[in-house]
Amino acid sequence: MSAPTQDPLTLSLSVNGETHEVRVPARKLLSDVLRDDIGLTGTHVGCEHGVCGACTILIDGRPARACLTFAVQMEGHEVTTIEAVGRPDTLSALQQALHEEHGLQCGFCTPGIVVTFEHYLRENTNPTAEDVRDVLSGNLCRCTGYQNIVVAVLKAAARMRGELA
Amino acid sequence: MSDGFTEIGRALPRKEDRRLVTGRGRYLDDLASPGALHVSFVRSPHAHARILEIDSAEAAEMPGVVGVFTGRDLDHMTTRLRLAPPIEGLQPTELTTLPINKVRFHGDPVACVVATDRYLAEDAAECVTVEYEQLRAVTSIAEAFAPDAALVDDSLSSNLVSHQTLSVGDPAARRAEAHRVVEARFALHRHTHVPLETRGCLADWDDGRAHLNMHIGNQVPHPLRSQLASRLGLSESQVTVMSPDVGGAFGQKIALYREELTVAALSRHLCRPVRWREDRMENLMSAAHAREYECRTRTSVSETGRILGLELEIDEDFGGYCFYPANYMARVIALIMTGPYRIQDYAYEVRVALTNKCGAGPMRAPMAITSWVMEGTIDAIARDLELDPVEVRRVNALGPEDLPYKMPTGEILEDVTPRETLEMAVAAIDVAAFRERQTQARSEGRYLGLGLCTVIESTTYGSEFYKSAGIPGSGHESAWVRIEPSGVVNASVGLMGTGQGYESPLSQAVAEGLGVRSEDVTVHMGNTDIAPYGMGSRGGRGATAGGGTLYLCALKARERVLAIAASMLDLNDAGGLRMRAGQIERMIGDDWQKVGLALTDVARRAYLDPLVLPEGIPPGLDFSQSYDPPAMTYSNSTHACEVEVDLQTGAISIDRYLVAEDSGTILNPIVVSGQQQGAIAMGLSGALLEQVVYDSSGQNLSATLADYLVASPNELPEFEILHHHTPNRRTPAGIKGMAEGGVMGAIGVIANAVSDALAPRGVTIKRLPLTPQSIRALLREAAPSSMKRTQS
Repeated sequence: MSAPTQDPLTLSLSVNGETHEVRVPARKLLSDVLRDDIGLTGTHVGCEHGVCGACTILIDGRPARACLTFAVQMEGHEVTTIEAVGRPDTLSALQQALHEEHGLQCGFCTPGIVVTFEHYLRENTNPTAEDVRDVLSGNLCRCTGYQNIVVAVLKAAARMRGELA
Repeated sequence: MSDGFTEIGRALPRKEDRRLVTGRGRYLDDLASPGALHVSFVRSPHAHARILEIDSAEAAEMPGVVGVFTGRDLDHMTTRLRLAPPIEGLQPTELTTLPINKVRFHGDPVACVVATDRYLAEDAAECVTVEYEQLRAVTSIAEAFAPDAALVDDSLSSNLVSHQTLSVGDPAARRAEAHRVVEARFALHRHTHVPLETRGCLADWDDGRAHLNMHIGNQVPHPLRSQLASRLGLSESQVTVMSPDVGGAFGQKIALYREELTVAALSRHLCRPVRWREDRMENLMSAAHAREYECRTRTSVSETGRILGLELEIDEDFGGYCFYPANYMARVIALIMTGPYRIQDYAYEVRVALTNKCGAGPMRAPMAITSWVMEGTIDAIARDLELDPVEVRRVNALGPEDLPYKMPTGEILEDVTPRETLEMAVAAIDVAAFRERQTQARSEGRYLGLGLCTVIESTTYGSEFYKSAGIPGSGHESAWVRIEPSGVVNASVGLMGTGQGYESPLSQAVAEGLGVRSEDVTVHMGNTDIAPYGMGSRGGRGATAGGGTLYLCALKARERVLAIAASMLDLNDAGGLRMRAGQIERMIGDDWQKVGLALTDVARRAYLDPLVLPEGIPPGLDFSQSYDPPAMTYSNSTHACEVEVDLQTGAISIDRYLVAEDSGTILNPIVVSGQQQGAIAMGLSGALLEQVVYDSSGQNLSATLADYLVASPNELPEFEILHHHTPNRRTPAGIKGMAEGGVMGAIGVIANAVSDALAPRGVTIKRLPLTPQSIRALLREAAPSSMKRTQS
């Protein structure tokens, strides 16, 4: 049994500013292609039905669920993953604040949260705690109870506004 | 908290954060394994059915499929799991690796498809045809115990898989002489753990060495290795378990599951790496469930609310399979039920039922219902006698003069502070002011409630506890500490973190014992060839058992280091020496002064110039230590919570939440606060939203995260935490352990708060979860018939 969706296609994907040629079937999820075919394993797969938010990436700068997207849909679009945000020795302001405020425990949901708020804080420089909770409601975290994530996002926002060293 | 500690108690940020926050963590599914095969399990659509025939011919011919394996195949490759500990009232059970004759719940795995990729494996799994003969499903405790109930496990005499009773003192006499006998009921619903990372494993059989490398996120690598070796007929030298970063576990990643054993057996059978990652539906349906209990208390009380005697009945719905002895969780609940209160006349009866649901296992605070039952009972007494619930707590609470306190079950409470945390919480919440606000609000038609819940949290189970409770197992832990020739410190322990953040606090325990900076210590965990055999992470044992053992091991290392240093300084002994931040210091006059000798110098001598070491001191700096904690250590806390219930919608909003907690000496306050917040969140999420739902035919109706609801930040409050630190005098450094009490307290306090809010409407919470629908149903039931008519 061979369905058309199983036949590999050659795709050219732009991820984190680099072009990747991959041969994958049309049915292959973007989350799986990023992880298996491009080797970017920071995008985590927690539910594969769009609820948990662990796989959140940016498509043309807007947050999206990689598990609800086929890689084949991404030709002509720019994909940004957690790997483009900071490195262990050069954390972004948000990542640094999450570290300082203990805004993560197991870390599985964290890349999705970082990607969500890297985008959000660019457009919303002075959010309230309530705003942050509202946006964060798209990302499940089973470990922290969210409180320290909220504190960290507010701290990062303050730093990005230059109000906090 | 001082005790002169310099490293223990530091707010040291977590060492693992930098990799995790940048997406550079390595979780199971991030491990590359070129050429690995992928599996997909065929699962039962029925709750209870005989397997008549499995037809895999079509699936076997599909693209990429390497093979389809059934319970019969696996029975040749693995041994069965027999659980028959010598526990009175526990029926022995035996499980095949995959079911052969019968499925026992919706989602039970009946066959395993192996293919070259996951998509192809799933395609083929859909084409495996299984012919079933459906049987009547047992979907509740009442059905399980009915005289004509279908047998869930055909080899047992009944569905009552475990039954224990105990009576201490004379509860019946206390009932006869009581001012009042107060009865209360508590039904906790079925939960599941929902780690964000589902289960999975990568088994890599090395045929030349006849060795299995098992990559798997697991809390207890060594016991898992023992299980794997035994079930595969291998020696423990032939299995290495490697646990990478783990995306949460909460008790779900302890047992060797049938799927994991299947994957390991197939890797060996096929001589190929084989991997499995379950999807979320599988995780919600068939990983492990927890917490489904029905409890009843009967309390004999005096006029002042003093508890004279307590009788408890616990029934547990254990699901279809025993991956743990069936008495495992429920009996601990019964053992610690009296918790913070002075009660000596006590009886319990614990019954565990097999049903056609997913098997139960421990979930963060396996004894979670305990505090709700005890504190709900206290509130029931207060309601019944029209007393202030705070006063009823006061007249019964253990105070310093009662300690050490032997509970009626023989468990010893010492260095706990339940009365102190109660008073801290009561003062912080200002109960009198709340009552005024509550009265005012009621006059405006708004329903506010205040709940209290005092928790005695059993944290670290020593071997003595297991022995006296008749549970097979040990509570000890093992560690090694090595100072390398360069002076850096490596250490290891048998724990395996699954997100708690062990790396900083455990390095602090080593650093404190040895006299170095925590930053210079690396703690290695999760690889059974590197770590010493330990009992792993479960309960709240990480700090006491893991941290305690590392601390003791580091003290041993320090003694050697100082002995060598003394000889290097031409001193007779190390009496006047200590080490701080890796520098040797000597007491001169009343001051500790650096002497220009560092750990690096000592290490160089120990490794590279051993001939000049003092007589009797061997070369190298390599230490190991095991430690068995006391029978049980306890932390304690009091939770307080203010809620408002909207009568029109049934919605509950939490206006304030605080906890006063005493978890003894804490290794790292950052990590402890995270555990406190996370545990409360998990308790509230469970009490308010989560629920595994089976219909009357045993179909699981909560198999997505849109159906099994986990709290988002919008449902959770800010947590205020008041600290109280009473060291345990019997553990290394006074450590007590923690991380589960928050769940216990949250479940009890929210139920009590909602009962308080709805008291004027005649509603008492006897059943969780507290969804808007369930609150509305309670209000409708309680409403006078005239109101029902107008509402309908």
